[in-house]
Amino acid sequence: MMLALIILTLAGLLILFLGFSKIRNVLLPVAIVALVAAIFSLTTQQTFWNQYLTDMVQIDGISRKISLIIMYTALGLLPFFNLFKGRGQEELSDFLGIYLFAIIGSILMVSALNYMSLFLGVEILSISMYVLAGANRRSVHSNEASLKYFITGSFTSAIMLFGIAWIYVESASLSMVQLSGAATNMMSFGFLFLFTAFALKVALVPFHFWAPDVYQGTPTLFTASMATLVKIAAIGAFYRLVQLNYAVLPDWINWYFVLLILATLILGNIQAVSQNSVKRLFAYSGIVQSGFILMGFLYQSEFVDWTMLFYFIAYASASLVGFIVIHFVETQSGSDNLDSFVGLSKSNPGLALVLTISLISLAGGPLTAGFMAKIFMLSQSIQNNFTALALVAVISAVISMYYYYKVINAIYSKSADASWSVPFYYKGLLYVFTVITLIAGLVPSFLIGLIK
Amino acid sequence: MNSAGVLILIPFIFSLLCFVAGKKWSSVVALISSVGSLFYYLLLLSSYNVKTNYVAFGFYYDWIPSIRASLSFGMDAANLLVLLLTQIVVCLAVLATMVKGNTRTGAYYGLIGLTHTFLNAFFSSQNPMTFLIFFEATLIPVYFLILNFGGPKRKQAVFKFFIYTVFGGMLMLAAILFYQSNMFPQLRLDSWAEFYQFKLSLKYQYWLFTAFFIAFAIKAPIFPFHTWQADLYSQADRPTLMILAALLSKMGIFGFVRFNFFFIQVVYDWFNYITVLCVIGVVYGAIIAWRQKDIIRLIAYSSLSHIGLIAAGTMTLTNIGMQGAMFAMLAHGLAVAGLVFVADVMIRRTNQHTVDSFSGIARNNPRFAVYFFIILLSAVGLPLTCGFIGEFYLIWALVEFKFYIGLVAALTLIFGAAYMLRWYQKTMFGIPSANILGFQKLSLSEDYIFLILVILILTLGLFPADWVGFGQFAYKYMNFIPDN
Repeated sequence: MMLALIILTLAGLLILFLGFSKIRNVLLPVAIVALVAAIFSLTTQQTFWNQYLTDMVQIDGISRKISLIIMYTALGLLPFFNLFKGRGQEELSDFLGIYLFAIIGSILMVSALNYMSLFLGVEILSISMYVLAGANRRSVHSNEASLKYFITGSFTSAIMLFGIAWIYVESASLSMVQLSGAATNMMSFGFLFLFTAFALKVALVPFHFWAPDVYQGTPTLFTASMATLVKIAAIGAFYRLVQLNYAVLPDWINWYFVLLILATLILGNIQAVSQNSVKRLFAYSGIVQSGFILMGFLYQSEFVDWTMLFYFIAYASASLVGFIVIHFVETQSGSDNLDSFVGLSKSNPGLALVLTISLISLAGGPLTAGFMAKIFMLSQSIQNNFTALALVAVISAVISMYYYYKVINAIYSKSADASWSVPFYYKGLLYVFTVITLIAGLVPSFLIGLIK
Repeated sequence: MNSAGVLILIPFIFSLLCFVAGKKWSSVVALISSVGSLFYYLLLLSSYNVKTNYVAFGFYYDWIPSIRASLSFGMDAANLLVLLLTQIVVCLAVLATMVKGNTRTGAYYGLIGLTHTFLNAFFSSQNPMTFLIFFEATLIPVYFLILNFGGPKRKQAVFKFFIYTVFGGMLMLAAILFYQSNMFPQLRLDSWAEFYQFKLSLKYQYWLFTAFFIAFAIKAPIFPFHTWQADLYSQADRPTLMILAALLSKMGIFGFVRFNFFFIQVVYDWFNYITVLCVIGVVYGAIIAWRQKDIIRLIAYSSLSHIGLIAAGTMTLTNIGMQGAMFAMLAHGLAVAGLVFVADVMIRRTNQHTVDSFSGIARNNPRFAVYFFIILLSAVGLPLTCGFIGEFYLIWALVEFKFYIGLVAALTLIFGAAYMLRWYQKTMFGIPSANILGFQKLSLSEDYIFLILVILILTLGLFPADWVGFGQFAYKYMNFIPDN
């Protein structure tokens, strides 16, 4: 754990300094090697310098698994940073360094054991993402996205600190593990604020208003990391916070989650229906998916952990493919509007195929990862006697079919566009993600075994 | 080697081949695949003895142990006939594409192959989870088939179909998950038998049956849920439509056959309401079919009418009704596939879609007229054709159960004769109109398709005893389950 953080930090700093030397070819390999080394150290559970972590950060079963999922997702996205190399103005070293810091922040978030380190993780991640959101300095939209993200992010931090303060006043400790009996009213109030801050970070309705704008303005590759890395880290940290404090939380907290889920599933879907920009559409899709993931919060048992992790993997592999394809289409046609996807099946059949499969998976089409993930979540919530909620979720899944359908419909429409291609290594990576989606849908027990 | 798994694997492997085979060879590959699976199925059929064991050629895979979901396939008395129908109709549909000037791509045949795979898997499913997965999965290749190959308004049509069916499928998903979580500690839901043994309290059963009913009623379709049907049928590519009309509509009916016995009390309580819906479909479909000018829409509404009757038959939960429903699925599948192909022959030659634009075809093409007539007789349900046997059993069961409902349902025979004969009369007899003059003779492949259909229709109509008998075994098996 400690070793992974050290490797990533050193690599991040090294890359920032290498940026001065104008040797751009080594930057990406350094980042990839560092990330692989970090993954290796986490997989083999190296205990190097772990004694210095004491009770600020703890790596346990669930946080290690979420960290690994985050790192694999980041690793999947890293090779695509190569796309920035050709564009003179932008600084690859800055992006890579900051991206590595964002990974550090998310690992810290999901394994925090103290509110201080939790807050530190949230801030490291957020500040990195503010910068990445404004990466395209020349674009007004990118600047706007960065500013919007920064303002809502600061707001979120304020609410989070406010909540932490209330908890601290009552328990006189910043430890995330509350040992004594049931929470007092004051403490529950603090938790309410803390959870609301997380809902803002995850973008759950009604705290989602910033997400579509920010997603749309941000350069698409960073949107991909926003939708996967940040979302998984935020939900993971949220989940861990709930899990650690489940014994002391008041009963009505479940109803708070139910309200959030209902609002997210219903309003998120309805707002998604009228979107014409595919990036905004994916933003809403991410919002709705996190509503589904939140169903795993309703009851804590061994069963819960892996359903949520499975959902993470299904969601990450599908939406990563989605955003990367959007990036390619956007650079080709200059816009992420639905019209630029018309005829993709003729002009670039490979991308059309992977995008279709990932859309089917996001929509919850059978024999894909998304379907299994949704089944696990639904069966779990039915088992915990939230049958009506499951029914609403099912109906919302039908509504969501509509907007995924719109994109698929556009892809397979006829148009006279000339064909264009994407380098084979990028395509190969996209195929790898697609195969993961399909394998997770066809042989889910294999993946579940890995997760466990 | 004798396993239902192989029956699913054959079309799957060949469908993958089709995707890469290219325009020239993919149709041949698809034909090999469908004929191969037909013969493999006949092989299975010849070594199947329904009296000694009910479920045969089982293929079991412990899919997701953590939620106790398994995939299980097999052949039994209930799915035997409909599996036979699947193999035959897919064969005919592939054959129907192999005409002069065929521009269908490899993707088309690949998708047909995938549809075939999923249909085989669906019909041979031996537990609710498998049933559900493939109920939903069938939608995907069909969706792309129509989205990419079809009429000008296909997008709206397929969208309507898609949303309707997905809605039903999701309701069923929720119901099955509810079932599974309630029986979680006791059973694994590995087979239909285990599913039968577990009875929830009646209060839940009403809700669950509603979910299942809506899912199947949309797929079949039954009266208030039918609005996607005519639009979709008129936009689909016609060989696809053969599969769509003959097999996909049977998925809903097959669902009733499988699930009605789980909800004996509910079906019994609601019998009047449900059968009234079905019978409304029978009469309403027939009346609209009478007024249709478009040939394909006529077939669509006649299908609605017949499906309503079959669905009402499954609701009687009697031995006769069961036998009738299962045989009628086969008979209706053959007849409707034949009718669609007749329409295909007519439309492809003249590019005219309405009944009025044809006349006097019989004078040039007497052979075509004879084929058409035999298929039509079966669709109408006249004696000596297989259509008659099915409808006879169904009406018998309904009359026995509720006389008036049976009486109204029997109108389907009269109405059916009316609109079908009108179609036949207008197009076949009279003075040949201008656009009929170039009506070419049937090609070899077309001749084969008609010949196969006509032989099947007449054989099954003349010697139905053994085939109808399978329904009896299915009924017996399902009825061993204690009532709650």
